[in-house]
Amino acid sequence: MKTIILATAIRILIPIFIIFSVYTLFRGHNHPGGGFIGGLIGAIAFVFHTMTHGPQQTVDTFLKLNFYGYPRQPNQSRSLYLMRMMRVNVWRRRKMARHPEIKHRMIRIESVYIIATGLLLAATSGVVGLLSGQPFMHAYWADFYIPVLGKPGTPILFDLGVYLLVIGVVLKITFVMSEE
Amino acid sequence: MFLAILAGFLLAFAAPLLYRWLGKWVYVPMALLPFSIFIYLLTLAPAVLAGNNLGELHAWAPSLNINLHFFLDGLSLLFALLITGFGTLIMLYAGGYLKGHPLLGRFYLYLALFMTAMLGLVLAGNIISIFIFWELTSISSYLLIGFGHDKESSRNSALQALLVTGLGGLALMGGLILVGMAGETYTLSELLDRGDMVTNHALYLPALVLVLLGAFTKSAQFPFHFWLPNAMAAPTPVSAYLHSATMVKAGVYLLARLTPVMGGTNEWQYTLMVVGGITTVLGALLATQHTDLKAILAYTTISALGLLVTMTGIGTAPALEAMVVFLLAHALYKGTLFLVAGNVDHATGTRELTQLEGLSGSMRYTAIAALLAGMSMAGLLPFFGFIGKELLYEATLQESPFRWMLFAVSFFSGMVFVAVAIALGYGIFWRRSASPTPLQHADKALLYLPPVLLACTGLVFGLLPGFFVTPLLQRAAEGMLGVEQVFELALWHGFNLVLGLSLLTVLLGYVVYHFSNRLLSYANRFNRLYLFGPANLYQMGLKGFLKGATKITAFIQNGYLRSYIAAIITAHIALVVLSLWRNGPRLELVNRLPELGQLRMYEVVLLLMIVPALIFLFKSRSRLTSIAIMGIIGYSVALFYILFGAPDVAATQLLIETLTVVIFVLILHKLPAFTYLSHASERYKYVLLSLAFGAMMTYVILIVKQYPLDSQLKAYYGESSYLLGQGRNIVNVILVDFRALDTLGEIVVLAVAAIGILAMLKLRMQKGDKS
Repeated sequence: MKTIILATAIRILIPIFIIFSVYTLFRGHNHPGGGFIGGLIGAIAFVFHTMTHGPQQTVDTFLKLNFYGYPRQPNQSRSLYLMRMMRVNVWRRRKMARHPEIKHRMIRIESVYIIATGLLLAATSGVVGLLSGQPFMHAYWADFYIPVLGKPGTPILFDLGVYLLVIGVVLKITFVMSEE
Repeated sequence: MFLAILAGFLLAFAAPLLYRWLGKWVYVPMALLPFSIFIYLLTLAPAVLAGNNLGELHAWAPSLNINLHFFLDGLSLLFALLITGFGTLIMLYAGGYLKGHPLLGRFYLYLALFMTAMLGLVLAGNIISIFIFWELTSISSYLLIGFGHDKESSRNSALQALLVTGLGGLALMGGLILVGMAGETYTLSELLDRGDMVTNHALYLPALVLVLLGAFTKSAQFPFHFWLPNAMAAPTPVSAYLHSATMVKAGVYLLARLTPVMGGTNEWQYTLMVVGGITTVLGALLATQHTDLKAILAYTTISALGLLVTMTGIGTAPALEAMVVFLLAHALYKGTLFLVAGNVDHATGTRELTQLEGLSGSMRYTAIAALLAGMSMAGLLPFFGFIGKELLYEATLQESPFRWMLFAVSFFSGMVFVAVAIALGYGIFWRRSASPTPLQHADKALLYLPPVLLACTGLVFGLLPGFFVTPLLQRAAEGMLGVEQVFELALWHGFNLVLGLSLLTVLLGYVVYHFSNRLLSYANRFNRLYLFGPANLYQMGLKGFLKGATKITAFIQNGYLRSYIAAIITAHIALVVLSLWRNGPRLELVNRLPELGQLRMYEVVLLLMIVPALIFLFKSRSRLTSIAIMGIIGYSVALFYILFGAPDVAATQLLIETLTVVIFVLILHKLPAFTYLSHASERYKYVLLSLAFGAMMTYVILIVKQYPLDSQLKAYYGESSYLLGQGRNIVNVILVDFRALDTLGEIVVLAVAAIGILAMLKLRMQKGDKS
């Protein structure tokens, strides 16, 4: 379903959606919001992208990390090589994709990994309490505020886990449904 | 002790990695672990032998009264030393036996896992932890029996062992919980003093039945004995370790452990004596009917386990004394013989008794080990087995109404043991033979050292019974009797009745050995009897169970989403209506009619959106329209939530509606055209169901609203969400802090559902590809 208006709009909207979803996630502790709602908002951005551009495009744009590199020359110093690699990967990404001598390695972030990460985060946030002799899921809070985001603590970590899991689940369902 | 268990688990899971790094040398760290635990236990031994019970407590789930409690007394120490000492030898032996096997790392993983679980079982001081370690041993045993997973027979045997012992484990869990209820504690050391409380409790009988079921399945007592011979599909180190020396003795251990708690009653005594007696005779009988070395050993093991159970059942001081001595003696010689059988199998490629002869020349050390173990098994003079047998006879000959029955049972099994011992210790090795069985490879040090060591231990214990064994066994028997025991183990008791009977046993045993070929020829005659044996019943039961499950699944899981939903909703309606009917309050509708006047403008507008949309939904014949209308209804409901002050719920509802519509649109074009396949009456059925459900929910909510909300929950959460949870949004604080465990459960369900959806849809696609 390729409609130019939606397709263009969604490109601009996606960052806004994501920023808003993260904001919703963190404000959840004091105002309406939270991990579940935040996750849904974040997922909707990708779902709309999938709807207009197809799942392959969504995966290519958002869920793939490309690393570029080449083998180290025999007489090249290690630090120089590392700096080169950083330059290749950070500042010159666009050019490198078409460079003939550059090999690139892809990391595809499967949505199942996002689900797993979310679950792991949520579960580990409870283990923190266990390690210091308190019951499972005992909450720990920091003593300072971060502007906009609020107070960091293990329940926030738990909420982050919920957030990631919800995004992962919706993405997985969407990708499976829209595959040809 | 906790650290020992933890180290065991850690090393178990590191085993595959170690195998990758160390190759065939992996047995070195794997053997060092049980060895170091063995040494550690020996350092604890003086304290235990002095009569102290050592305990160690780690909180686990204190709110449920479940703690990781370790408890070491004489009985535990005996078993723990057996497990770790034997474990060391087995780890070495396995390194030689499975040398070059590609899955050796995995094998060590399972074996170390089992060893640790077994160690945990005997060290556990809390009956819930006993159960958990018990189940762990069942599972690791399953994995070990099924180690040769490419063969169907070993898969079946593994499953059989798991089902039988798992069933027993389930019964055991119930039994232990009942015992805990009767004794009002789950802590073993407290339970041991509350024997009277448990035996006089109303729940004693059910608890007894369940616990015995657990112990009998694990220790292969009649009628559950059939899994043990099949479990011989496992590699020989496993058979020697699990299925003769340790795991099958877990049931005996449990019975011994619970003797002070549950023992002493008539039910306990008679059940154990009868079941143990039948098992002893049956095992001995069946042992004479086989020619496979491992099968013979398996059946004699069953017989020995039966004897141990019988002795526990008799429950007098001499009987329990005989039990611990025989237990140790049996572990030593049976383990050796198993290892010897494995050796022979490894070197010659066959385990058939009839094809093996004259091996003493080519396998000198193995032959010596076999001879020593055989003599111990036969109960010949300087060996530990002799002391065990003497004590058995003495215990059965005590004054009791059944003394001749009991004696006959132990005499019979002793006779068969002698015959088997001659066949294995002498027959295949030392009998003169013109054509010795050829070897495929020479005897290897890793393979013959462990059995030789074990057999020598049997000899040393026999020659020096007072040295370390007597105090240990004394404390072990004390753990069962609850009172201080003094007994002297001695090799020579003088010329008395028991010695005469021992001699008679050996003589008759030799006669049995001499005629063993003729006995074997009778084996076929029993085939018809086996049709009604428990093994066959198990097979029939399993088949019937699977068939029944298939039928039920086909009926319940018919693949129509609507019938699932209809079933859930019908059940829901029925339950609610039933409870409303029986003791629900009546609705006073008339008094509440005036409230209709307080309707706000927005509510009427939303109602005016929802009701026409519903009517329109029934009329629509296109999916797209239906989805759009559903969207309208959903959004209107969300607006209701906002009106009534639940912004979180409203936001979630709005987002979910959006997502539902979008996802529907994604798959819309893939669905077939919308047609009515069912008759109109079918549809009216569902309309009726929806109406009933809606009416019921409305009724319930009206009734709920009829009473003032008198709950302190709201005030509590309102107050503590900021003070304790550091957040002002109560809903969210409840979700991520107060009831975070529930949320964790929910998101796990969500993740599983996502994976389920993936599996379901992918499966469909593959089917579509094929057609």
